Amino acid sequence: MTTLSIDGFIGLSIALLAISIFGILTRRNFILLLISVEIGMNAAILNFLFFAAFPNRSPFFDGLQGQSIAIVLVGLAATEVAVGLAIVLALNRLKGTINVAEASSLRE
Amino acid sequence: MSLEELAFLVLALVAVATALLALFVRELVHTILWIGVFFVDLSAIYFLIDAPFLGVLQLGVYAGAVTILLLFGIMVTRKRIFSREAITGIGALPAALAVATFVFLALVVGEFPGGEQAITSYNVTDLSQALFSQFGVYLLLLGLVMLGALAGAIYLVREGRE
Amino acid sequence: MSLIATVLDFLPEILLLAGALLVFLIDAVGIRRIEVVGSIAVGAILFAMLFVFADLGFAPVAFLATIPPSQIDIVPAVGSTPLYWFTSLGLFFQVFFLIAAFLVSLASMSRPSRERGAAVFYGMILLATLGMMLVAVASDLIFLLIAIEVVSIPSYLLVAYTRRDARSMEAAMKFFIVGALSTVLSFFGASFLYGAYGTTNLFVLASGSAVSNGAFGGGGFPLLVVIGYCLLIAGLAFKITLVPFHAWAVDVYDGAPDDVSAFLAGGTKKIGLFAFFLVFLGPVLLVRGTVEFQWFGGIGAVALGPVLQVVLSILAVVTMTVGNVLALMQKSMKRMLAYSSISQAGYMFIGIAIGTAPALTGASLQVFAHVFMKTGAFLVVAAAAGLGVGPLIADWRGMGQRHPWLSVAFALMLLSLAGVPLTIGFLSKFVLFSAAIEAQGYFVWLAVAGLLNSALSVFYYGRVLKVMYFDAPERGSVIPSSTEADVPLPGAPNGRAAVSPIGLGAGGIGYARATTIALIAIVIVALGVYPGPLLQPLAAAAQHFVNLAF
Repeated sequence: MTTLSIDGFIGLSIALLAISIFGILTRRNFILLLISVEIGMNAAILNFLFFAAFPNRSPFFDGLQGQSIAIVLVGLAATEVAVGLAIVLALNRLKGTINVAEASSLRE
Repeated sequence: MSLEELAFLVLALVAVATALLALFVRELVHTILWIGVFFVDLSAIYFLIDAPFLGVLQLGVYAGAVTILLLFGIMVTRKRIFSREAITGIGALPAALAVATFVFLALVVGEFPGGEQAITSYNVTDLSQALFSQFGVYLLLLGLVMLGALAGAIYLVREGRE
Repeated sequence: MSLIATVLDFLPEILLLAGALLVFLIDAVGIRRIEVVGSIAVGAILFAMLFVFADLGFAPVAFLATIPPSQIDIVPAVGSTPLYWFTSLGLFFQVFFLIAAFLVSLASMSRPSRERGAAVFYGMILLATLGMMLVAVASDLIFLLIAIEVVSIPSYLLVAYTRRDARSMEAAMKFFIVGALSTVLSFFGASFLYGAYGTTNLFVLASGSAVSNGAFGGGGFPLLVVIGYCLLIAGLAFKITLVPFHAWAVDVYDGAPDDVSAFLAGGTKKIGLFAFFLVFLGPVLLVRGTVEFQWFGGIGAVALGPVLQVVLSILAVVTMTVGNVLALMQKSMKRMLAYSSISQAGYMFIGIAIGTAPALTGASLQVFAHVFMKTGAFLVVAAAAGLGVGPLIADWRGMGQRHPWLSVAFALMLLSLAGVPLTIGFLSKFVLFSAAIEAQGYFVWLAVAGLLNSALSVFYYGRVLKVMYFDAPERGSVIPSSTEADVPLPGAPNGRAAVSPIGLGAGGIGYARATTIALIAIVIVALGVYPGPLLQPLAAAAQHFVNLAF
């Protein structure tokens, strides 16, 4: 039987979330921003799987729900990448850059 | 420490390292390579915690489709593929915010029992039945999201003839 | 439950989906005239609204009801964890969302009939409306968050749909990044709540059981729950533009095409408020006791409900104050309206912080009023841009003489936003603030803060009125509109090309747009003078909602 420690799992997903937030706040290239978002979504997926794998004593606990949510989230995150890339391509056609800081005329 | 625990620790370290490398490396194509390794690594973790269906899905969707999609995005938007990014500064404030988030969230670790716990594994048949009956509504909603994304994204990138 | 019964329950949503698919289909066979596409969208929305009204039991159409009354406002049996449920307050919100979509769809039919992208514009509006309606029936956190995604993804694409305007595209890019960050935070918070409770059902979450009942080891998960809620507040606050998370809204409303700004500010923003209703009202109302827990060996104590109430109250006051102060300093009309929209979100938020039935009634009324006022204000800006009025407030000089009817409608909307008596804006603020005073305690200060902020907001709304009616137009100040908006002038509104250059309808505004604006102005006054038909059912619905222990 597989035994694993809980602390390591939760530490991993929190570290990935922190990296994702850092990336979204600092990176100015749109592709890197998309990658940061994906890292964050993967952290959430990992969390759902992890909480499904270590059963909770709550009477409402449903491990299959956690796994189902993880599957749906994979699809959702991939959809977001597709939409993001569509916006990138359209922006690149208009302005010739995918840098968020360079493409910025919405100021006072 | 069990063998699985050791394997998990190695995989977790690789995941964090590749995620950081993907954001800090200066050539965008290398970023894609690192993020590919990251996705494969996460898929290995899913196999380790006995979620093989998710592992395969991760390999197919992320390591396969999303990585290629991102690479395609880079190819289309720049003239030379191997061109370097102007390095963006690390920025004290975002870094501090990320560290603060990590520390704040890491408080929850104290609430869990330490030591190794047995993990529960789920039958793939049960999972698919739950996914399409009890939680089928989630899939329907995902279908709506994808309908919107599909129609809008095709319209947005199509060359308009006006 | 049989398939037919489920389909009937979701008949309005299915009508919207059918409308969206029909719009895409007829685009594929080459029918692209905006009159045709827009009529389909407006028809689908009207039929959906008819059925929602029937479900609410309004007299003339009640026989069309598709949801059995025995399913509305019913607490599910203990142990069952449904993914959706029907409440009369949720159905009211569905009506509000449908009204916003209806107004924008109708007004947009005045755009040139050969314009590209009509199908995508209306298809995305219908899909986003469908998502908003699903938000209003959610009883599961993940259902709620994915339904919010159903709204978000079409709205990113709506902002970008003109394709040729670099400003809109930038706005879409910013919107996408912020929206994606919000999605990540919400789902991560939801995963923590799932870890603590073992399910994402909102009834179970509202019971607060995981705070005290141990699950893994016996200590319970107060921190896991608190941190999960913090992340959820952050994620959802982006949607409703609460203040530390508001910065994107101004750029997006400013950069988006005018009709889309109207839809975003008047429609999609409100889903955040209803999500807060669903997620936080339970904890705020129920978890009153103090719970002890272990924190690194020491003993801490947390009372989840009161702590959440204080946090939400502070967010509400900060939001309305910052929104109003920044609105005072704006020179551009759309940015001023965007900041005023942020401050209005602060008023609505008072209702959640208090959490009593009258406060919920007030917040819902504020949402209803805001749908009309803000949609209307952005539509007037769109119409004015079509008439060649510039983007700055100073460009509106002498509008009172040049376009008297448009100015009267806009003045009514502004007065209502400021909360002047005999308008619907006054009514909603009155109900909300009196609920705050009724709730006693420090909530009275929420009412005081709201009143002071209303007084503050009169300054900038009054400034616009003064410019419109008392400042003479400078000779030559009217810049001819550049209809070829392919190369955007710096600071030019991107709705310039939005109106037919031929002087159709009421002086170049277009019949559909003029009708919509007139309709909004009439409703603002009519319901402000005679609110009974709306106020009583809404108060009853709010009372039901609170009684359901949510």
